[in-house]
Amino acid sequence: MPEVNTEKIFASFLLSVGQVTKIDEFNDLEKEYLGKNSLISEERKKLSSMSEISRKKYGKVLQELSTQISERLNQERLSFQSKFFKEKELNDNKDITINWYKDLGSREHVLTSVMNEVVDIFSAIGYTVATGPEAETSWHNFDALNTPDWHPARYESDTLYLDENLEQLLRTQTSTVQVRHMQNNKPPVYIVAPGRVYRSDQLDATHSPVFHQIEGLAVDENLTFSDLKGTLEYFVQEFFGKEIKTKFIPHFFPFTEPSAEVLVSWKDGEWLEILGCGMVDPNVFQHVGYDKNSQGFAFGVGVERLAMIRYKIDHIKNFYENDLRFLRQF
Amino acid sequence: MKVLKSWLNDWIDISEISNEDISEGLESLGFEIEEQSDLKPNYSNIVVGKVLEIYPHPNADKVRVTKTDVGSKTYEIVCGAWNFDVGAVVPVALPNSEIKDGFKIDKRDIRGVESNGMICSASELDLWDDHEGILILDDNILPGTDFSSIYASSDYLWDIGITPNRGDCMSYLGIARELSNYFDKKINIKKSKLNPSITNILNTNSGKIKECDSYGSVEIENFKVTDSSFLIRYRLSNVGTRIINNVVDITNYILYDVGQPLHAFDRDKLFNTVSVRKAKNNETVTTLDSQIRKLTNDDLVITDGDKPIALAGVMGGLETEVTDSTVNLLIESAYFDKVSIMKTSRKLGLISDASIRFERGIDFNIQKYGLEQFLMTLKNSQDIKYSELSIDTKNNIKNEKVNLKKDEIKKLLGIELKDSFIKKTLKNLMIDGEIKKDIIEFTAPSWRYDLDRPVDLIEEFAKHYGFNNFSSNLPQGLYKNEKGNFWKVKEYLSKILISNNFQEIQTLSFVNKEMNTVFNPEKKYVTVFNAIDKSNNYLRSNLMSSLLDTYIFNLQQNNILNSYFEINTVFNSSVDNTFNDVPNQNVVLGFITSANLTTQDIRKSDQSIDIYYVKSLINQLINNTQLEPIIKPGFHQNYSFSIFKNNEIVGHFGQLSTELQNNFELENEVFLGEIYVNKLNLNELKLINYQPLSQYPFIKFDLSFSVPVEFSAHLIVDEIKKLLSKNENEIEIFDDFQHENSRNLGIRIVTRSYEKTYDDNETRQILMKISDSLEAKFKITLNSGNND
Repeated sequence: MPEVNTEKIFASFLLSVGQVTKIDEFNDLEKEYLGKNSLISEERKKLSSMSEISRKKYGKVLQELSTQISERLNQERLSFQSKFFKEKELNDNKDITINWYKDLGSREHVLTSVMNEVVDIFSAIGYTVATGPEAETSWHNFDALNTPDWHPARYESDTLYLDENLEQLLRTQTSTVQVRHMQNNKPPVYIVAPGRVYRSDQLDATHSPVFHQIEGLAVDENLTFSDLKGTLEYFVQEFFGKEIKTKFIPHFFPFTEPSAEVLVSWKDGEWLEILGCGMVDPNVFQHVGYDKNSQGFAFGVGVERLAMIRYKIDHIKNFYENDLRFLRQF
Repeated sequence: MKVLKSWLNDWIDISEISNEDISEGLESLGFEIEEQSDLKPNYSNIVVGKVLEIYPHPNADKVRVTKTDVGSKTYEIVCGAWNFDVGAVVPVALPNSEIKDGFKIDKRDIRGVESNGMICSASELDLWDDHEGILILDDNILPGTDFSSIYASSDYLWDIGITPNRGDCMSYLGIARELSNYFDKKINIKKSKLNPSITNILNTNSGKIKECDSYGSVEIENFKVTDSSFLIRYRLSNVGTRIINNVVDITNYILYDVGQPLHAFDRDKLFNTVSVRKAKNNETVTTLDSQIRKLTNDDLVITDGDKPIALAGVMGGLETEVTDSTVNLLIESAYFDKVSIMKTSRKLGLISDASIRFERGIDFNIQKYGLEQFLMTLKNSQDIKYSELSIDTKNNIKNEKVNLKKDEIKKLLGIELKDSFIKKTLKNLMIDGEIKKDIIEFTAPSWRYDLDRPVDLIEEFAKHYGFNNFSSNLPQGLYKNEKGNFWKVKEYLSKILISNNFQEIQTLSFVNKEMNTVFNPEKKYVTVFNAIDKSNNYLRSNLMSSLLDTYIFNLQQNNILNSYFEINTVFNSSVDNTFNDVPNQNVVLGFITSANLTTQDIRKSDQSIDIYYVKSLINQLINNTQLEPIIKPGFHQNYSFSIFKNNEIVGHFGQLSTELQNNFELENEVFLGEIYVNKLNLNELKLINYQPLSQYPFIKFDLSFSVPVEFSAHLIVDEIKKLLSKNENEIEIFDDFQHENSRNLGIRIVTRSYEKTYDDNETRQILMKISDSLEAKFKITLNSGNND
């Protein structure tokens, strides 16, 4: 019985597989050894003319050879493929140390992000945002806040006025919003008022004619000095971190009594002032038409100061020059 | 104010208390510690010497040679100062010693004479600035004495801030009073024991005005102008006061010590009754600094007869000044009205140690004590004769009795105070008060101007209880995480711009006139009356000028073409919409971008955009808007649009006029816009009209129409949308080709029925319906050919 030499065929197959250089050649080999016109197919055609015993036996031989080749082919194909992609990746080796993508600057101004953060901290405990005009009346900026007309803060050397009678001015503090808000809303009041304020200073490293404050005001039944303390301790810890310590020292503001300044313990053990606060002075309640027994507290934070402390920014001027080299760092 | 530990110790025994504890005490009482320092002598190995002989230097005219006894030895020392004679007791820096700033002194040959050290001035030992020459010490100090043993060689100095309501703490006595309660230690009131031996030859009185409540004076004879004592010079120099002579130094010393400003006149230059009155308008007085001061009816003057001789409480007059030849004095100790002194001092720009104390309010009952302490100090060093004190008081100032309900304390502070604490605090602070059942009845002492309401005493208790001893509680408002529409709109718009690579900026609100007129020539501007920079005295009427400035600045500075936005207030002089007592103010979002933008990838060239990009940006920022062309100053004739939402103008945008682009020397076209933040409502901005998705296959046609050059393309799109309004559609212009007077618009229509799959016949009918309607309605023609 004429039978093919299966070992010889398989050896020839192995030889061809070993010489493959491109993935497509596996398909050619598959065709050559297993396809319609392959030797194995030719031999299969002969089976029908064989005796049953020979047919079964030879059929099995051919089937085994075919399986052997097919399995080996797939195995080789997979390993060739995996080797091929590994090599491809090895050859694609960019110098990742180069920064081709430049940060041009597309973000919030650092003062805005500090203001947003403070607003978020207070809105989480039920404070809403209130606003008021930047060009204000002297009454709202001073008189209503218990600062009489002979007070030094009212001198033209400190305050920017809009008219020669000194009746209108650019607000020197966001505390004006307290007054505006209370004139138009009944207690309870829980507000924060972020915004611009103005002083008669030239723009330099430590001064700016424009800067930002966030005023806070809470008026509600039974609010005490302990509530003020707890509120500002909460704020400091939310903003600077739980490990930061605070202390309260007595201070003076015309529109609060008692008044305090809040200091935070900074890295090197230094204590830094970050805000002023106090219980709203009864005269302020009277000026806005609230009941004289009203109770509440107010506080004011300097936005530039918060940013300067947190990021160690050295010049206040940087905030207003808008150099992208500065803006894109935050 | 500068506080020297050794000086404070005169009033309250703090010698055993650590500097840290004192600092903590000061701070908890509301004295902010601005600086503090350990004082150590800035010299070493200085001894006291006595000059035995003085003779000329053989080779130099400007110096002399001395023989100086330094105890163990007598040295030959060359000296360049001439303010001493044989017998003078002086500080000597021996060879191998150090003077100020570590400067080493050794034997030195000075033009052929060996000098064994140096005779020192006060400034060479870093004691105080002295231009008189060598420091002359008391005659009775023995040669050889270690100099540091006669000079308080180590001390501690605090520089503390005093809040404007506490004028009473601008003296050592005042600070001691506060600390006495903190440390629970008694204060030592310095006693006065006087023995007047002359009669007054001048009359003095407080005049007829209410602004001077008390005028006290004393006359002194047999006085000699000389240096003040070593102790006074040491203390004054350390609190930053210039050393002048005994009379000036002692008046300054009393001012710091007890808080009463004093003024010394040369009595022999006064002839009539000394009194106080308001100045006449345009009256003048020449002050100590030789300036002629023109006065008004608001100013207070001291008069000799009717003649003004000093600016009360602010500065003395030149004519009655104490000079080296003065032998008789009149010392003034008065109480002047706070506001009056403040006005004069600010108006004339004359701020002195005296004026700042008067303007914050001095003790109205301390005029006599001030004079007594002056005399006690002066007679200690000179054998003077003095008169009885003359004090003319109107007694117009009185502190009223105030009642504080005890439960008010708990209500405001949240703590219950024990009666023992209340009593102790009142007593130590010398507040006249007592507890009567539920009420504390109190009267402020004569030095306190901040204790006239019940709440003032509550503050005092809180402070002395210690702010840091209060418990903490966190009250909360009703509306959590409800920032309000304005703030939320601001955050919403910012986020969109930032995700489109815009950088937010914050620019100053002041501009020059040009920056307003360029975009708003029609507006009435708001100006600053006392502007810092006279050329930038306008409040801005728009944000576009500031945005352009920043765009140009960063292009020049950093070579980056970027996009920017700012959200801030703009002003005009009409009345504000919300508040009718102030100028009109609106919060505006302004933005700027350019036709070429630097790309992030450095390897790539600039990215270009045009007005269509800006239009798409507006649609991202505000949904459902309509645009209408508008002619606006500063903008391109054709590319300037108002943005309407719900038939209301909510902003505008466009291209910077080509003329301005040329004037600003800008290579690229620039696009600018403003959005009126207050006109937007967040809920409307977030409103979404959801289109359900059809489950059926789409049909698609690309149509080309020949249209007039002036035609508005959106008309076709709108019309097709109307025709296919029952379907889910995507209708886009994909081509706009213009050549001379012909123009072709390419429109792509993708449409899906919600009900069925269109067959070929239905598809053809839809196409016919669209082309027929468009041709009929707009008189345009469907181009044959590549439509499918």
